[in-house]
Amino acid sequence: MTTDASAAIARPRRFPQPDRIKEISLLGMIAFSMIVFSFFIDEYPGARFFDRLTTSVVIVAILAVGQSIVIITRNVDLSVGSIVGFTAYLTGDFLATFGSAGPIAAIGIAIVAGAVLGSINGALVAFGGVPAIIATLGTLAVFRTAMGLYAGGIDITVDRLPDWVLEFNQRSVLTIGGFDLTLIFVITIAVVAFFQWFLARVRGGRRLYAIGSNPDAASQAGLPAARLIFLAFLTSGALAGLAGFMYLTRVGTISAAAGAGLELRSVAAAVVGGVSILGGSGTVLGAFLGALLLDELRLSLIRLPAISEFWIEAALGALILVAVVLDATLRKRLNSRWAAEVRRSIGEPAPVTQGIPEGGSADA
Amino acid sequence: MDRVTDEAPLLVIEGVSKRFGATQALSDVDLTLRSGEIHALVGENGAGKSTLIKMMTGIYAADEGEMTLDGQPFAPRNAAEAQQLGVAAIYQEPSIFPDLSVAENIFIGHQDRGLLVNQQAMARDASQILATLDVHIDPRLPAAGLTVAGQQAVEIAKAISLDTRVLIMDEPTAALSAHEVDRLFRQVRQLKASGAAILFITHRLEEIFAISDRISVFRDGRHISTRVAADVTEDSLVREMVGRDPADFFARTEHHEGDPVLRVSGLGRTGVFADISFELRRGEVLGFAGLVGAGRTDVGLALFGVAPADTGSIELDGKELTISSPGDALRHGIAYLSEDRRRSGLSLPQSVTANITLATLKRYTARFGLLDAARERSDAETFRQRLGIKTPSLRTPVGQLSGGNQQKTMLAKWLNAEPRILVLDEPTRGIDVGAKADVHRFIDELARSGMGIILISSDLPEVLAMSDRVAVMREGVLRAIFRGARATQEEVMALAVGAE
Repeated sequence: MTTDASAAIARPRRFPQPDRIKEISLLGMIAFSMIVFSFFIDEYPGARFFDRLTTSVVIVAILAVGQSIVIITRNVDLSVGSIVGFTAYLTGDFLATFGSAGPIAAIGIAIVAGAVLGSINGALVAFGGVPAIIATLGTLAVFRTAMGLYAGGIDITVDRLPDWVLEFNQRSVLTIGGFDLTLIFVITIAVVAFFQWFLARVRGGRRLYAIGSNPDAASQAGLPAARLIFLAFLTSGALAGLAGFMYLTRVGTISAAAGAGLELRSVAAAVVGGVSILGGSGTVLGAFLGALLLDELRLSLIRLPAISEFWIEAALGALILVAVVLDATLRKRLNSRWAAEVRRSIGEPAPVTQGIPEGGSADA
Repeated sequence: MDRVTDEAPLLVIEGVSKRFGATQALSDVDLTLRSGEIHALVGENGAGKSTLIKMMTGIYAADEGEMTLDGQPFAPRNAAEAQQLGVAAIYQEPSIFPDLSVAENIFIGHQDRGLLVNQQAMARDASQILATLDVHIDPRLPAAGLTVAGQQAVEIAKAISLDTRVLIMDEPTAALSAHEVDRLFRQVRQLKASGAAILFITHRLEEIFAISDRISVFRDGRHISTRVAADVTEDSLVREMVGRDPADFFARTEHHEGDPVLRVSGLGRTGVFADISFELRRGEVLGFAGLVGAGRTDVGLALFGVAPADTGSIELDGKELTISSPGDALRHGIAYLSEDRRRSGLSLPQSVTANITLATLKRYTARFGLLDAARERSDAETFRQRLGIKTPSLRTPVGQLSGGNQQKTMLAKWLNAEPRILVLDEPTRGIDVGAKADVHRFIDELARSGMGIILISSDLPEVLAMSDRVAVMREGVLRAIFRGARATQEEVMALAVGAE
């Protein structure tokens, strides 16, 4: 075997990779919208806006990472909002009871509890054969109800929690000027970086893409699809647990409705971030940028005096639609360009439009 | 043809049988594949080729008989296990991962390079394998844009990387251009030179003789013969592929043919079929024979407006029509009975009545847009008796009926539309003998009542026995139209597969 063979490849002209383009275009959209808003809002974008955005985005960003992992396998996890509520309550109750416990123990409990709930989803979908949308719609209600029973009508309130809990949300790793780099944002970045690496480089990660890309071919190739789908849901649950902990430190007061609606925001972030709802493509980094873009728009729209609160959700919804339609168009373009590139590189004529040999019909 | 292999047997199939319900798909089949041979497997549709492949790749288990690979018992439980043991299949439509890179497509499932995926090493190995196949694609690019030929090359590369010893290729040339077929053949010979056994399934005779060392013929689930390709002539091959006795078929009664009702001239759809011209008379059954993929169904779909033709004309009673949707076709009295009753023919969860009135609901609309349920029921009841649909009740979901009764329900749906021209696409596929005879008797009755009928069927004895004239198609072209009584099975089959 020599390496000459690879040199013989007529490399197609540089081909823009859809995922890369997606990430760059998201960054562009974030920058562009901030420039636009800066004309209408005072002291924007400044340190205060940066601090507010980076502390507010973490919950949806972490959920979007887990959600992307599940969506990549051609499934969806609608129960994450309920898992956030459940784990936030459980962790709050634990801290209210054991006031001396520190953040490490609290994070550990939240993640383990989330993983347990996630594994219930995983078992239903991967081994029980229940379609993900139905299974997690069910557990969305079941987890919420279980939380209500456990709480028994008593909310977790700030005064019952140790002092460090609310401070944790503000804890800063680095301060430059008025810009705070908070610990929770650093943790979020670490989570995104780890899973970005995992999905791109680790065998198990690539297999998740394979399963979502073509389930039949995956089973023919002998990939352990059920096990990987189970693990995807477990991971999504564990990350929702981590988000639950962050929810607790951010809000402090946990009622029976805590975290409701976050499942849809996590799906929106993933989809805007370029994770195909049909599975098989997209990145965790894209989903993170999607979460960042949506949160940036939300926070900016809130500060726009001209737009009433009533319209914010509608504006965000319209934006999601635009992003998805644009994405589909872009992808189709790139794919057909790629096909043309391949044909050129292997010296093939344009697609065969007629392959019918000569021959007439005759009445015998 | 280089040499006749006398290598030791690699994969041996002995006495294998498989039954599905009432259908004996394979009975007592023997087949031996040797290493370094290209073995062609031929037979009509329904001869049992697909069932055999599915057994070799672990999708079905045999009812009887056994397989050995290298002398060891071979009974894979799924495709992945078969692949591990060295038996893989490539289908007409390859199954690739569109979102993964070409290299990942080749190595997925067996990237045994530890936990991390080394994309660079993988790309390098992939391009080496692809280069031996004379395919020059950058392996780091996504597989989504590959042509069918490119996808097949990826699958062949995968087979090489897996050290596949038995490669089954199920009509791999069906979607390829001549240029691509040539390259595929070179790749297959390469694989053969490396000692693999290739089971090559194709309907095209010239390909069989161009590439195979030995040829096996299947018919009706039985193994008919295995011979060295050099000893086989086109004639003998065609004779072995057909040769069923048409005597057990319903014989058409004599009937009077009326004036031409439908005239089709120069009909074509780019890339699918071209220059189709024929005439259909009142009270005539015009058979369409040919292999699956010859374009017969596509002609039917064009007449019914599902996939309209883009050249040529259709005249009804001397007036030219534009048919661009099934609604147009039905308005002009043309109905089409789908070959796939489960997917596009019937609404399985709905009742027998609902299915029979589905295409003609307008007629049952009473005041305020409500449906006249009583009329629906009485019409359905009429058809139940007329066609002998056996069902516990007219409210029974069609999905619960037997194949034959489903077929009759579908027929009732279109007869309810009172068509003047009825296109029947494989009307007796997968139904039992009794229901088959009923359908045949019915076709005859309809023709005698003056309806013009186009009968598309891959069942050669059926199409010859039922039709007044038989049109034969191959590769999108109408090759000839025989008077039914004059054609023999051998003549029709020879035209259908392209023998001289």
